[in-house]
Amino acid sequence: MNTHKPAWKNVLLAHETILLVVLIAEWIFFDAIGRNFGTYDNTCDILRHSCEIGLLALAMTPVILTGGIDLSVGSLLGLCAILFGKFWRDAHMPIPEAAACTLAVGALAGGVNASLITLLNLPPLIVTLGTFSLFRGLAEAITHGVDTFTDFPSSFLFLGQERWLGIPAQAPVFIGALIFFWWLVHFSTFGRSYRAIGFAPEGTRYAGIPVGRRVAMTYVLAGIVSAIAAIIYTARLGQAKADAGNGYELYAITAVVLGGTSIFGGIGSVYGTLLGVAAIAVLQSGIVHALQPSEMAGMLTGALLILALTASVLPKMISRLRQRKSALRLAKQNT
Amino acid sequence: MKQLFSSLLLAAAVAFFSGCNKNNEAPSSGASTAGNSKPGKKLTIALLPKSKGNAYFISCQKGAQKAASELGDELIFDGPTDTDPAKQNEIVENWITLGVDAIAAACENKEGISTALRKAQSKGIKVITYDADSLPDARTFFVNQATPQGIGYALMDQAAQLCASNANFAIITASLTAANQQEWQKYIEEDRAKNYPNMKMVAVKPCDDLKDKAQSETTALLSTYPNLKLIMAICSPGVPGAAEAVKQAGKAGQVKVIGLGLPNENKMYVHEGVTQAVILWNTMDLGYLTVYAADAVARGNLKPGDTSFKAGSLGTFEIKGDNILLGKPFVFTKENIDQFDF
Repeated sequence: MNTHKPAWKNVLLAHETILLVVLIAEWIFFDAIGRNFGTYDNTCDILRHSCEIGLLALAMTPVILTGGIDLSVGSLLGLCAILFGKFWRDAHMPIPEAAACTLAVGALAGGVNASLITLLNLPPLIVTLGTFSLFRGLAEAITHGVDTFTDFPSSFLFLGQERWLGIPAQAPVFIGALIFFWWLVHFSTFGRSYRAIGFAPEGTRYAGIPVGRRVAMTYVLAGIVSAIAAIIYTARLGQAKADAGNGYELYAITAVVLGGTSIFGGIGSVYGTLLGVAAIAVLQSGIVHALQPSEMAGMLTGALLILALTASVLPKMISRLRQRKSALRLAKQNT
Repeated sequence: MKQLFSSLLLAAAVAFFSGCNKNNEAPSSGASTAGNSKPGKKLTIALLPKSKGNAYFISCQKGAQKAASELGDELIFDGPTDTDPAKQNEIVENWITLGVDAIAAACENKEGISTALRKAQSKGIKVITYDADSLPDARTFFVNQATPQGIGYALMDQAAQLCASNANFAIITASLTAANQQEWQKYIEEDRAKNYPNMKMVAVKPCDDLKDKAQSETTALLSTYPNLKLIMAICSPGVPGAAEAVKQAGKAGQVKVIGLGLPNENKMYVHEGVTQAVILWNTMDLGYLTVYAADAVARGNLKPGDTSFKAGSLGTFEIKGDNILLGKPFVFTKENIDQFDF
């Protein structure tokens, strides 16, 4: 009878709720000890700095939900960034055309991951570990490691550096992606099939769901989103170089896992990911504003991840212990 | 009396509100006072290294901290710890909202960081660069640690000091095409022709910036030119490479080794007497001068067009255009090399 908890208790003990509390606590803490932390300007900066990793984390959520992983997104960001620069500077394309070609490259690269994983049935970890090196290597080979694309028109840099209607210009892109993935994961039949695949791929296949096609779609989407992130990254920095987005795949995965998505698939939510991204971004900015060395951010992100996971597992463990105790008592009474 | 009372009330109100708004102080207010602040106000100066773990920049920080405490300023030293090229920008942008008075940056990505530095300037924060410059429009001054002429002349003068006036020497370079190496060689040759015309440069060998190649090239040089008196390595891996070759050939002291390099990787050879002199600049002085310059620019004491600048106990420095020159390179020898750790 105590397996049926009241609804409010479920909501209160949900991983996302705990994370939200942590996020608010972080904000209050840094606002108290940091200099100019809680200002509107800084809020905009936090948004701008977390946009690319946020986008990657959004696209990573369905991938991990199906029990997969995509380690290649950071490298693909680098490859797309320099190809975008090449399309614009060397092929003399106007910016919109160059952006469209970059998105096509992203989709194609995602397609490479998807077909290796679904057609050849190779493990996603191995496939994307391969393309992780491949995409970065390609970017370095194309630019010989030194070529840098810069001097983009200011109308393009606006996207990464300025404000539009008072909010960072890239925020609408992020919000658009957020709405799309939210719908995809929580309100479409696709989302339901992702969870089913994550729990039991074989069972899902017997249920008549085209597992291969559904899984392939998540990797193609991750490719396209990496390309979008590459364009925004280039606009924010005003330069594209082969080392763009180094290590971003791990930040994205950390945000997704921090947001409560199970690394084995099946469980997870887009709002959890959103909170995960925010918790990391606030931490990184807060550290600088509190005049603490920025390497603290890495340590604290790790601590936060472990803390949040423990906090969400703890209530379940306690209730399991209680159940076992009462079962023991029952057993004793019966004997 | 009434006036006194109202002014006291005003002062109290100001104190109260400034206390309340500690965290919400508009970022521009800190910066706008920076331009016309009175001397004596404590400034916040942010020093950005290329990467934080690099001992070279830690050494700069030492000098910078000394300058900041002499000036009574607050120094923030922070930089990237990983290889993400966007990190420098993010740190600078955080400093903008933090409301620092001046930023001094060593730029990893010239074009990329310039975006953030320009933004800082537009918010009224004074920006200078040191060690590695940004684009010229993104900063007021560049603290230039060494000019090619300074380096070339220092190397040649050092060589001449160690050898007889008619000695033969050879150069180990990174590659024959590298622009900076060619420029240094040009000034080495200029100094030799002008001041030491009887010394003879017998060979220039590239080592591809590799220590073992420098070693094998030096070994070959030693057997090809038995009367060689000095090896001059003008890329940092070349100095220990050449020293190792001379040491293994048993010619320590007979064939002198000098070069452009970092103290730590040469300490052992310097103490063994294989390498006589390592030439670079004094990184502590670089940090010291940078903070003094940042402070002076923020207080309005140093403006574009000035031709000299006095930095505390280090004295006066020459300004050429918008470059503040650190001056003559520094020579690390057996006597002073242990004071440096980078």
